[in-house]
Amino acid sequence: MGPKTVPVGQGAVQAAQRMAPTQVALALREYGIYFALLVVVAGFSVIAPNFATMRNLILVLLQVSVTGIMAIGMLFVLLSGGIDLSVGSVLAVAGMISGMYAQREPTAANIVLATAIPVLIGVACGLFNGTLVAWAKVPPFIVTLGTMYAYRGFVVWYRVNPIYNLQPWYRMIGQGTLGPIPLPVIIFFTVAVAAAATLNLTRFGRYVYAVGGNQEAARAAGINISVVKLSVYTISGLLSGLAGLVFTSRLGAAQATSGTGFEMIAIASVVVGGASLFGGRGSVGKTMVGALIIQFLQNGLVMLNVPSTIQQIIIGMIIIGAVWVDSVLRRER
Amino acid sequence: MPNRESPVVRLRGVTKSFVGTVAVSNVDLDILPGEVHAVVGENGAGKSTLMKVLAGFYPDYEGDIFIEGTLQKLSSPRQAMSLGIALVHQELSLVPELTVAENIFLNREPGWRIPGVINRKRTVELAAQVLREVGAKIAPTERIARLSVAKQQLVEIAKGVSRRSKVLILDEPTSSLTAPEINDLFRIIHTLKARGTAVVYISHRLAEVFAIADRITVLRDGVKVESAPVSEWDEPRLVKAMVGRDLYSFFSRSHHYAQKDLALEVCALSRPPHFEDVNFKVYKGEVLGIYGLVGAGRTELAEAICGLASSHAGRILVNGTPTRIKSPRDAIASGIALVPEDRRTLGLIATMDLRKNLSLPVLGRLSALGFVRQRRETEMVEDSIRCLAIRAPAVSALVSTLSGGNQQKVVVGKWLNANPKILILDEPTKGIDVGAKAEIREIIDRLAGEGKAVILVSSELPEILGMSDRVLVMRQGHIVGEFARDEASDEILGACAAGLAANHAGRLPYGEREQTVNGG
Repeated sequence: MGPKTVPVGQGAVQAAQRMAPTQVALALREYGIYFALLVVVAGFSVIAPNFATMRNLILVLLQVSVTGIMAIGMLFVLLSGGIDLSVGSVLAVAGMISGMYAQREPTAANIVLATAIPVLIGVACGLFNGTLVAWAKVPPFIVTLGTMYAYRGFVVWYRVNPIYNLQPWYRMIGQGTLGPIPLPVIIFFTVAVAAAATLNLTRFGRYVYAVGGNQEAARAAGINISVVKLSVYTISGLLSGLAGLVFTSRLGAAQATSGTGFEMIAIASVVVGGASLFGGRGSVGKTMVGALIIQFLQNGLVMLNVPSTIQQIIIGMIIIGAVWVDSVLRRER
Repeated sequence: MPNRESPVVRLRGVTKSFVGTVAVSNVDLDILPGEVHAVVGENGAGKSTLMKVLAGFYPDYEGDIFIEGTLQKLSSPRQAMSLGIALVHQELSLVPELTVAENIFLNREPGWRIPGVINRKRTVELAAQVLREVGAKIAPTERIARLSVAKQQLVEIAKGVSRRSKVLILDEPTSSLTAPEINDLFRIIHTLKARGTAVVYISHRLAEVFAIADRITVLRDGVKVESAPVSEWDEPRLVKAMVGRDLYSFFSRSHHYAQKDLALEVCALSRPPHFEDVNFKVYKGEVLGIYGLVGAGRTELAEAICGLASSHAGRILVNGTPTRIKSPRDAIASGIALVPEDRRTLGLIATMDLRKNLSLPVLGRLSALGFVRQRRETEMVEDSIRCLAIRAPAVSALVSTLSGGNQQKVVVGKWLNANPKILILDEPTKGIDVGAKAEIREIIDRLAGEGKAVILVSSELPEILGMSDRVLVMRQGHIVGEFARDEASDEILGACAAGLAANHAGRLPYGEREQTVNGG
């Protein structure tokens, strides 16, 4: 190497050094969430003795499945630029009415009713939300805040006392396993795959992103915005109803208070997963990771005997931190 | 007192680039107190960007800015304001629900005896005083939302004056003003000038610039072309400096429009208060120019034809068939597409990539059982990129990272994929660089050559004159003139749009009109 090549080499190194930070930022932006999950899991594995076991992993997956299913429904709504605060209440209504049939003998009719009714109730609740948002043009925050109270009021009025005597056949759904894997986990993953396929491969999925990304441009492109909005709230309702079925069955009881506060866990999962509250940005995979991060934190903190009040403080701060880091990485130079 | 000879603002080598494009490059500029300094250039020449740098909106500029001889690093609008620089935006930045007085003193409210409590009476008094100073007849207690755009602009100016600003930047101040309102504005500018305030006047309206400016600086493609006292300029020289070459050389026009197959007919279309009783026809293979000043109702007309806004009355005939267009979907189904004036709000979805933007209006055609057929989509998208020479790092690049010209090509491309018979382009070359302008114009020419009916809405006269086979002129919601290609000229169209002359041919029965045109 002649001396003349040295400056050239130095220049290249300097160029690489200048490039490096932005590329690291890009990679972090794209994959940072997976890295964060890894850090959480690795960290607890070191400090909490029973954390890194197959049993605990399966437990976390089981625990995340109900709010995970709701988070996927929430993802559709957030992608379209809306929000659904009523999902916890929908879960309770669906679970309670499902429980009414789950007390009964396992006739074909009862089995169908107990499993289909919660889903249909979810659809009906979602359609109601969606109609108000899409055609009455009431802001989604207000609509679903209102129905959050209304659906909850309805279920408490309908039956205050919990139903405990659910039939064993019904408990199978939430408590059964397929090999080592609990059925709720399988339901969660099935929902996730279907949702990912819908969002990534179908025309409807594109429209959801388009409406959330720029509603006016979507309309100008000939997309029927009202139908897209109605659909996302219906999907959110449907999945909340399904979550109600799984939750009631797993708990072995139908309660009017079920699902209180779940809307916040669902929103937090989607947002920690890098989705924008303004719509147009987010994915199923990252939503699942977001839900898992929150669940692993909860699980690990319990193992470390951290009081639940302190857990809440830590998790709350981590949600803010995650979104802040995401926004910093996203900021343009 | 400021020295009349030493510049209040001195820019040296100021450069500002956005992702992928240099908007302002190495500009030197001296702004003298008591002088009206016009900065002119085509759309996208970098005028607004330069002024936003000076007003502190872009802290990441390069170069030096001296204010009253001191080197300053302008890092925020707040700091620029405290140094005496006030910018009156093209888009007004007033709070509509507050009163005039509250807006003028926003963030500088006079205090009362109890700290933190606003002295309303004093606010109103001070505002009234400032409004008197600029000669604006506006009540300080009026809410902004109730004022006309012209009066809102005067409030903005009053706001700048109330800060005792040394430099007042007016960015396209007359774009939505009527002639008497413009006179009022000029009177105020003279008052400010007499007080020693430097006024920077951004415009592309040459007549105004000659009427008000002491010095004219021309920017083109982000570079300063020339700066000289107004006495050294005349109109042809100024135009040449702005455009950079002979006026018509970069309008390619190869299509030959002869045949008269009707594509679209608009009958008595009305949408008060934007436009009324609009009648016209467009033929296959024709480029119909629609010229007019901003606010003449052209954009609203285009939006009504494309179903973005509903028209109040009238009929639209596509290929001779009466067609109801109530939504953009109806328009697309009838073969009508609009390349909108504002591509960011109506054309593009910034959170989506190039590929998804290009295929959005035609996903129905690309799908089977609701699933998007990825391979067909890829083929179509690659075709678009090739045909329109869209320059992007990848099909998966977010459209927001592309340059303005390439973004505009994406919008054009997306609508070409919908294979419209009638394409309306609203200010298609606004805010994009000269090279991209030429390319967009080539595309328009090609489309007409392929037999599409093209409606070109533009406020750039050279563009209208260079591209159109026939020109309609709109003013205050009416079509006030119709000119064949060889009848139209700068003076005629300009006079017609300004209401100084009228050609009522637009109101003649169409049969007679056509004969006249054909005979001519």
